[in-house]
Amino acid sequence: MKLKVCGMTSGENIQAIASLKPDFLGFIFYEKSARFITSDIPELPKSIKKVGVFVNASESEIIDTVSKYDFQVVQLHGDESPEFCSSLQSKQSNLEIIKVFSIKDHFNFKVLKSYESVCDYFLFDTKGKLPGGNGYSFNWNILEAYPSTKPYFLSGGIGLDDVKNIHQFLKSSASKYCYALDVNSKFETAPGLKDFNLVQQFKTQILSNTSTMNYNINEHGYYGEFGGAYIPEMLYPNVEELRQNYLKIMAEPDFKAEFNQLLKDYVGRPSPLYFAKRLSERYNTKIYLKREDLNHTGAHKINNTIGQILMAKRLGKKRIIAETGAGQHGVATATVCALMGIECVVYMGEIDIARQAPNVARMKMLGATVVPALSGSRTLKDATNEAIRDWINNPVDTHYIIGSVVGPHPYPNMVARFQAVVSEEIEWQLQDKEGRTKPDHVIACVGGGSNAAGAFYQFLNDTDVNLIAVEAAGLGVHSGESAATSALGKEGIIHGSKTLLMQTDDGQITEPYSISAGLDYPGVGPMHANLFRTSRAEFISITDDEAMQAGLELCKLEGIIPAIESSHALAVFKQRQFKPDDVVVLSLSGRGDKDLNTYINYFDL
Amino acid sequence: MNRIHKKLQKTDKVLSIYFTAGYPNLNDTVTIIESLEQSGVDMIEIGLPFSDPLADGPTIQASSTQALKNGMTTAKLFEQLKDIRKTVSIPLIIMGYFNPILQYGVEKFCKTCQEIGIDGLIIPDLPVSEYNAHYKTTFEKYGLINVFLITPQTSEERIQFIDSISNGFIYMVSSASVTGSQSGFGDQQTEYFKRIACMQLKNPQIVGFGINNNETFMQATDYAKGAIIGSAFIKHLNEHGVSKISEFIKGIRA
Ligand SMILES: Cc1ncc(COP(=O)(O)O)c(C=O)c1O
Repeated sequence: MKLKVCGMTSGENIQAIASLKPDFLGFIFYEKSARFITSDIPELPKSIKKVGVFVNASESEIIDTVSKYDFQVVQLHGDESPEFCSSLQSKQSNLEIIKVFSIKDHFNFKVLKSYESVCDYFLFDTKGKLPGGNGYSFNWNILEAYPSTKPYFLSGGIGLDDVKNIHQFLKSSASKYCYALDVNSKFETAPGLKDFNLVQQFKTQILSNTSTMNYNINEHGYYGEFGGAYIPEMLYPNVEELRQNYLKIMAEPDFKAEFNQLLKDYVGRPSPLYFAKRLSERYNTKIYLKREDLNHTGAHKINNTIGQILMAKRLGKKRIIAETGAGQHGVATATVCALMGIECVVYMGEIDIARQAPNVARMKMLGATVVPALSGSRTLKDATNEAIRDWINNPVDTHYIIGSVVGPHPYPNMVARFQAVVSEEIEWQLQDKEGRTKPDHVIACVGGGSNAAGAFYQFLNDTDVNLIAVEAAGLGVHSGESAATSALGKEGIIHGSKTLLMQTDDGQITEPYSISAGLDYPGVGPMHANLFRTSRAEFISITDDEAMQAGLELCKLEGIIPAIESSHALAVFKQRQFKPDDVVVLSLSGRGDKDLNTYINYFDL
Repeated sequence: MNRIHKKLQKTDKVLSIYFTAGYPNLNDTVTIIESLEQSGVDMIEIGLPFSDPLADGPTIQASSTQALKNGMTTAKLFEQLKDIRKTVSIPLIIMGYFNPILQYGVEKFCKTCQEIGIDGLIIPDLPVSEYNAHYKTTFEKYGLINVFLITPQTSEERIQFIDSISNGFIYMVSSASVTGSQSGFGDQQTEYFKRIACMQLKNPQIVGFGINNNETFMQATDYAKGAIIGSAFIKHLNEHGVSKISEFIKGIRA
């Protein structure tokens, strides 16, 4: 995406902004404008195209000004006719012409036709009192109807606050021919004086997303600025051993073979990609459910525990520890430990033990020892602390199976790789059903973020695929009882990873709340923190009530009782519209058996 | 010259005490520090409480939870310590987890430490690589010594590396454990103490974790420059309050 900064008036300021290397700098030659330039224009780097902006000026005035300042481009902001443009074009063959059109609520795109052959670009600005510079934006969705293939500039009140909207817009088909963003009044300290820092921030935030970017982990264990391994020295040998070996082990043919075979024969993969016909009809789009709920033990969690138990065996470990919130990951871990005949200790908050009795019983039947976490708030975060403490105390023979894409590097990446099987399957299943490997949208709920990481994995760097991460808003994002980490969290460190987490101003980690125990975590994995920060993924928060209704709706429409975590993802259809021919894949991360009590109490069944 | 360097040059069998700021009561901090110095302690680690102290056992965890409930914050601690150098001259070290420091602002934190007269920091979850890459210059700008840990599992190569970047002392974790989970040292520990002593490191070592009485203090300081007591002191505070601090110290030194 190109950037044009318009309306500087002072030489010094021009030079400062030029040092940021925008693609275009625009200078306004319209006396009535607050940004009318009277000063000289300093020498500018050759890579920047200089644009003269005119409103109903005469041809001779334009030609004189262009030659005086050596402009490569003119922008015509008034009622210049196609004939006028044509004449100018014939006299100045090297000059590029931008013709401006102002849009309010509607725009008759037919007027573009007569300009097609006489200008080089179109520019769409907000219609207001003034010819440009009104400082607010129009509804960009109008450009869905853009009939032309000519590159256009998007203009009108664009500010730093719009970055997220712009990323959104750039993912939509309306932006197909959007060539550049044109900014002006929202980046000023006074009319005509641009704020260097604001422009710089805008440029990096826009470019970071539109140039090909890597949303996967880098060689230092970071996703953008998130990740790393903030661990006490006591954990260094364990984590380092894992870091040095995990990729090597995962690449071994017999590891892959054993992993794939267990996923097939034991877990029951591939999980179906099911076209949800009645749900699709209800929301007038094409919805596919990725049925992780049909896996052995009832959720996606087992993909990771199978991978990690094989990893632990190859590292020569004799004992497994894990943390669990609702008990899903605890059950998945106890299951694979039983399968391999390895000792298993699961830490679980004392409060969660009380509210998730069936899963506690399952773990015990599977031979695991369930240890109550008695410290702190006695829920998932404290269970994680206890598991880490156990690992510190048992540094040689124990492997810690973390249950989500959280924790110190390499855990987030390793867990994401084990869950990646989800999107690998989506690609070929979609090929069979739709004749294409890429969906338009992928929706998944995010606690720590492992089912989302798995569903997004193959599409991370393919920005044509819109990623939608759904967080639990509990009783409401700002109710004080919420687990919407991206909305409420700040950058910090939790469980060995730099990421977004909910905390007090003093840096104490706070207790989240959600009706779904699996989303009740104060942090989010570093991959998702980065997807949020870069606006690669759209983040949506769903309340308890919205999720419960969406869960019930799936029961009624499709005969599937979803886990309450997955119900959060389903609730997106009430919040956000999709097009009729959009292909939307939703990660149905788990089944609702474990949540029956919560459903019973909530709906008074 | 930093107070830590001076102290370590002059003294053997250095006794360092850890306590959690804001425990048992919010405003005990200064009283505890002053009584510790008067009781003949050589160095103090002031614990900045954290909600999720990963490297700590139940005793220090519980004291941190209580301290936070009492209202302790980073700003509050600094306010309490504002005039501490008027009455206390032994080295003072702040020990805390990285997140509260990050939220306070690393530079602002270091600057305030210098203004107060804090000599060093121990941040267990700030790894060596991150420190070197991002924070070293800031710590040094404000004259703060950053103390790194080693454990029985730390490789010889890494110990050499940690020694090379340390400047003060090395915190030698006595065994593979969180704080407060030891009772007495066995052959394994003695061997480890000997092994490290033989490495002739540039920095003196101070042993921590599992020192809880005269016997373990003596065992540790047979090989190392000094020892740190945390959980045992907090248990004592819990049982006997702040007025009986000197009895505890006498018992250790005996
Ligand atoms: C069914 C289900 N979905 C989602 C989650 C949330 O975890 P994650 O965000 O790692 O996918 C859980 C966690 O327990 C779960 O059980």
